[in-house]
Amino acid sequence: MAAIETEGLTRIFGRRRVVDAVSMCVPDRAVYGFLGRNGAGKTTTMKMLIGLLRPTSGGARVCGVDVVRDRIGAARTIGALLEAHGFYVHLTGRENLDLTRRMLGLPATEIDRVLEVVDMLRDGGRRVSDYSLGMRQRLGIARAMLGAPPVLMLDEPTNGLDPDGIADMRRFLRALPERAGATVLLSSHLLGEIEQTASHVGIIHEGRLVLEGELARLKAELAPEIGLRVDDADRARAVLRGRDLTLVEDAEGLVARLRPGDDHDIVSAALNRDLIEAGVSVFAIAPRARSLEGIYRAASAIASHRQETV
Amino acid sequence: MLAVLSVEVRKLNRSLALLLAAAAPTLIAIFAFAMVLRSEKPSEWSMWIGSGTAIWAYFMLPMCVTALTALVAHMEHGPRSWDHLRALPVPRWTLYASKAICVIGLVVIMSAAVLAMTIGAVAVGGLVKPDAAAVGRLDLAAHAWVLAQMALAAVLMIALQFWTAIRFASFVPGLVLGIGGTFFAVVATSAKQGVFMPWQMPVNILATEAWRVQTALMLGGGLGLVVLAAAVIHLARREG
Repeated sequence: MAAIETEGLTRIFGRRRVVDAVSMCVPDRAVYGFLGRNGAGKTTTMKMLIGLLRPTSGGARVCGVDVVRDRIGAARTIGALLEAHGFYVHLTGRENLDLTRRMLGLPATEIDRVLEVVDMLRDGGRRVSDYSLGMRQRLGIARAMLGAPPVLMLDEPTNGLDPDGIADMRRFLRALPERAGATVLLSSHLLGEIEQTASHVGIIHEGRLVLEGELARLKAELAPEIGLRVDDADRARAVLRGRDLTLVEDAEGLVARLRPGDDHDIVSAALNRDLIEAGVSVFAIAPRARSLEGIYRAASAIASHRQETV
Repeated sequence: MLAVLSVEVRKLNRSLALLLAAAAPTLIAIFAFAMVLRSEKPSEWSMWIGSGTAIWAYFMLPMCVTALTALVAHMEHGPRSWDHLRALPVPRWTLYASKAICVIGLVVIMSAAVLAMTIGAVAVGGLVKPDAAAVGRLDLAAHAWVLAQMALAAVLMIALQFWTAIRFASFVPGLVLGIGGTFFAVVATSAKQGVFMPWQMPVNILATEAWRVQTALMLGGGLGLVVLAAAVIHLARREG
């Protein structure tokens, strides 16, 4: 059974379709990166899953529980870190956790358990007003884990963190399914964050889920690319025009995008030979790592093209 | 519901609500003490307590309700904790009902404090200036009954202030409503039509005409509870 499943989930504000027929499937124990630019519909989708917003149409189930028909039942299976933490800053971290713990009817030992998971046992007695943003994020995750819900929904958990804080958070999130035995839905507009953290990815573009799947599989399906650094890009382009590939240029030089199934080594050798024979100096030629950025760009471009042609 | 209510009480304990709850009765008591010292001849207990009760009803009570409702609302508006609270697996109406119960509870505690502190201030004043010491019988039960009726008549005002304070993230609408209501309660205290105005219903408990007392209780208490229930249902059902 999928931990989270939506079917045609739609939310319209006024005349604006903010979430448009999103059908997503988050497998059990996955770290699912929900990727999209700011305003793409990530937070609205998460708010519908948490029960803070009602869908205009469509439905969603968390651990098999319908979030609209049984909000409280679904909420029991979810721990959420929202953009606004909502901490009482004059209270200590421990006291903040205790307020939520009491409302959930959990034993007092839960506080130490979740503080330990986020490595904050020593800081729990300090006022939240003295916490750094990273500590507040971790405290928010600790609060989301009270009662060990099977699903954690984290909205932009690295927002506002410094580089060290982001690196710490990535390590922490990667280890979460193992440490907490939970499925993690993680929203972000940062490609690197999702790429280094998630096992699965869903890309939302202008309210529509344009791509979804296991990250490793999506990368494997991506057309192979070869990066080229040459002395004369225009001549190189002219030389390679006849070959069955697409040439683009980015900040690092020319990129030859091959057809799916092409072999890197064979094509690299052929390109190198053609360029040398034509008198083009080749400084570097190497396969490009298949990245989430490539997947994201391709998915967004296809989605934009579809919208233009509709 | 009890768990949510206990959390609300804990939050209030750690806020400035208790300071606010102590301030209003203390000010009334200080005023009563000063008046005893200023007095040249003794007055009846009923005059002193009646005077303190009237100040409470037409000015301090509306102002305190305005401040208390703003305080309990901004405990959540300030840190933007509504989303967290509303996402929890508890019925949403309990979040709002527990806050409303806390406000009413504090009003009841403050009413009792007005009576206790006024009696204390007048007694101490009498010790300092024996010539002006209160005379006659101190009918504690009758004064307590009047204050209890005032608290009941204040429920409609509490409901309206509470609804506004929680509904709007800014404290300005609640303050404008409260200051406006208190203004009319002060400048038109004895107006007969005032019994139909929520902020003047508590002071109408002191009216000599029985219909005004009954109307204040019926509208302030009865309609007040209906409006309070409507407020809780509306707040629980709305998004965001």
